[in-house]
Amino acid sequence: MKLQDNPYYKKLLKDPWSYTAGAVILALLNIGLFASTGKPWGVTTPFSYWGAWIYKALGGNPESWFYFQQKAHAEAIKAGFWMDGHSVSNLGIIFGAFLATLLASQFKIKKIKSWKQVVAAILGGLLMGYGARISFGCNIGALFSGVASMSLHGWVFMIFIFVGAFIGSKLLVKYFM
Amino acid sequence: MAEYRLDCLGEACPVPLLKTQKKMETLKVGDILIVEIDHSCAVKNVPEWARKEGYNVEIEEVDDGQWEIYIEKTK
Amino acid sequence: MGETRIEVSTRAKTKKKKVNQIPFGVALLIAIIGVGFFAANKSPKSALMWIFGVALGYTLQRSRFCFTASMRDPVLTGSTSLTKAVVIAIAAATVGFSSIQYAAFLKDPSKIPGNISPVGLHTAIGAILFGIGMVIAGGCASGTLMRVGEGFMMQWLSLVFFIIGSLWGAHDFGWWSKNLISKTKPVFLPNVLGWPLALLVQFGLLLVIYIVADWYGNKNVNE
Repeated sequence: MKLQDNPYYKKLLKDPWSYTAGAVILALLNIGLFASTGKPWGVTTPFSYWGAWIYKALGGNPESWFYFQQKAHAEAIKAGFWMDGHSVSNLGIIFGAFLATLLASQFKIKKIKSWKQVVAAILGGLLMGYGARISFGCNIGALFSGVASMSLHGWVFMIFIFVGAFIGSKLLVKYFM
Repeated sequence: MAEYRLDCLGEACPVPLLKTQKKMETLKVGDILIVEIDHSCAVKNVPEWARKEGYNVEIEEVDDGQWEIYIEKTK
Repeated sequence: MGETRIEVSTRAKTKKKKVNQIPFGVALLIAIIGVGFFAANKSPKSALMWIFGVALGYTLQRSRFCFTASMRDPVLTGSTSLTKAVVIAIAAATVGFSSIQYAAFLKDPSKIPGNISPVGLHTAIGAILFGIGMVIAGGCASGTLMRVGEGFMMQWLSLVFFIIGSLWGAHDFGWWSKNLISKTKPVFLPNVLGWPLALLVQFGLLLVIYIVADWYGNKNVNE
């Protein structure tokens, strides 16, 4: 029997898990992260460091900005990529997803289909990057980890990200479909 | 019993599902819609929606990371 | 409910030849372990974060988890299954988080760990911008990273601009800090409500959201 048809292979590596199973595993991993490193899961803060390193390589001087004079951020950009925990876990997420798709034999490069997608990707990326900086987090840092930390900012984030998603949905249907 | 194809290759979520929902409305009972997708999340949410609606659904992996979803309008 | 087989004429058409990608997957797994040792050389914490990251990415992809869809689908498609899943994830994480935080509270009430940040108008503005962005880009931060690994070129592009946007936000952070953020404070619910009431409110609200989401998801089908 070919491996692809093996029921155990299908169950373990090919068929999608249920959303609930995913939810519980993600929660356990986040608790594990918090317990072992003292900090819950976060994703977007490292993006500002990556940006700073690239900007510096191009000759910029981000250290003079207020943001990078904050103690935690100043230390992080000095220490470098492998010393910043969440930078490393972000790279891990990319490779973990890559691994999962390959083991399921479902990897395919999906090309950009239209100019609408280019505009959507650029605009969406910029909005998310900027938004995450001023609201202290994203769906992970502010919503998932923030609400689970019983912080009010997490709950406020949840209400208004829903408002944003509502506006975004209307825009998507009108301009990007 | 007519058969229709819907090309959603390269479309990101939620576009495949929205297009499918719209297309299904125009079908007659007994018609079949074949949705072509390559978005791994859509393989989950398109069949989930169609089964909830009570339609018959079948998924076939036609290539690495590419699927065809057969939806039969039953009502 | 039995699955009825759909007879379709095109079924007989010859399939494209599939490539078996599993050997590549095994090779990648070995490379991932290699990177783990490389990271451990830098610092043990780095290796730990690498393992957690890979596990998170793997789980996100395998379960097709999508925080964006949890907010967007109720609006666009009427589905709330991911909304409910996110509520379950937050509730389950709260159990562990609050235990860790309570242990820290008993040691020193002024030093509570966790993601507790200043809350105010900036939170609302940032969240709205983020919410619009994630829906049109087809993925939030974790979703974008996961789809980068899955091979979506659209998300490769949006990651580049996500980084540029973050740098832009960092550049303007001084202004936001001076005018809004510095006037606000982080609020840790148990400090305001006390631990029993805070936990009650936390789980109570999550339960209410779950029930509403469940009702809304079913309502759309029965119509």
